[in-house]
Amino acid sequence: MSFIETYTPLLLSGLWATIRICFLATLLALPLGLGVTLLLRRPGRALPALARLYVEVMRGTPILVVLFLLYYGGPSIGLVLEAEPVGILGLGLYGAGYFAEIFRAGLQSIPQGQREAARMLGIPSWRILLRIELPQMLRLVTPPVINQIIVLIKESAALSIITVAELTKIGAQIANETFAVIEPYLAVALLYWLLIELIALAGHWLERKAKHG
Amino acid sequence: MKPEATDKPLIEIRNLRKRFGTIEVLKGIDLAIHRSEVLCVIGPSGSGKSTLLRSIAFLEAYDEGSVTFEDRLIGYREENGRRRRAGERELNADRSGFGMVFQHFHLWPHMSVMENVTEALRVVKALGRAEAEQIGREMLDKVGIAAHAAKYPEQLSGGQKQRVAIARALAMKPRVMLFDEPTSALDPELVGEVLAVMKQLAQEGMTMMVVTHEMGFAAHVADTVVFMDQGRIVERGDPGATFADPKSDRLRQFLNTWRERSI
Repeated sequence: MSFIETYTPLLLSGLWATIRICFLATLLALPLGLGVTLLLRRPGRALPALARLYVEVMRGTPILVVLFLLYYGGPSIGLVLEAEPVGILGLGLYGAGYFAEIFRAGLQSIPQGQREAARMLGIPSWRILLRIELPQMLRLVTPPVINQIIVLIKESAALSIITVAELTKIGAQIANETFAVIEPYLAVALLYWLLIELIALAGHWLERKAKHG
Repeated sequence: MKPEATDKPLIEIRNLRKRFGTIEVLKGIDLAIHRSEVLCVIGPSGSGKSTLLRSIAFLEAYDEGSVTFEDRLIGYREENGRRRRAGERELNADRSGFGMVFQHFHLWPHMSVMENVTEALRVVKALGRAEAEQIGREMLDKVGIAAHAAKYPEQLSGGQKQRVAIARALAMKPRVMLFDEPTSALDPELVGEVLAVMKQLAQEGMTMMVVTHEMGFAAHVADTVVFMDQGRIVERGDPGATFADPKSDRLRQFLNTWRERSI
């Protein structure tokens, strides 16, 4: 089939862009999400309220609106970026809100008594976080984090609207050139599905590894 | 070991009050614990006995009154006649004489038995691995768990877990051991092994405060029994007299219920 021969390199470049963007966005979102979770637990009211607000705003806003705000509204606050960096930043900020919720739930499911036992032994709170809470939390949250990464990959299709040449955008481009709709979008769907299956497999492997020490 | 009347108490509790919201759970507790004394607190659920223990450890911040350990106020600093909450470092210093054992053990499940026992030695006392593990082995040996040092908590029985928790607390060389219903979460046939370790500690002269439902342990090991009900100490004394001849109706009733149940 000539369609496959002609457009495979283009489709693969789109797939690569999606992988690159989602990888970098996740790399940004995970530590940022953890930071937000830790702010939620700070004493006092201001910092937890700020963190709460962040989570609520990100959960309450469609990714496309976040992207528009950054891409078209960014320049008015001096943030002038190419489409792809905007996409990574937007997806990262957006994902961080969800990761923060996952991490919060993970920390909450560690029995309070474990912290009390540590405190009674005089272990400082940052060491409790590092040695007692985080190792357990990371095991607990592996499945929902993998799930959220998969959601981010699918949400990344929205980047096509701000002209990022990722997989969906490439599909649309091919459809425009060829006037064929079924073939390019089927190819795009297949590639998304393959990528997501790979991530899910990696997730299962991580879960098994975590379970066995 | 009997406390001498002239001894200065190790821990003194004065007019201790604690509220959860509008409910007052401790309504002015006065209590003294002397060096090498074993004090058992008994009473019905909701009487405030666990809250009392947790307030002494400052896991609950008490609202009024004072807890002092060798004259050091626990959990608060008094400056210019005002009281402020101790910071984390101050609180750690306040608690450094306390070892605590919980009803549900609260071992760290991702760490081996040896790691559970040596973690605080390494982090708080900054000991090297070899030195910490030597102390760890001694403590595990003391509670009869040395053979399981490399196992993880989930591989142990409840009684074994609780003995590891006792070893973990002992490793830090506490001056007082606080036990919060240490056998209440155990299968009946596992209670004995934990009580045996506690009895051995008592015989070695460890100062102990034990919140418990184990009347047998209180009768045979305690120097003093304290009976609490509705946030107050209703009765206190040596276990022989207290159990044989309760002065209050409330304790008589409590003991009768317990006797009927244990036939």
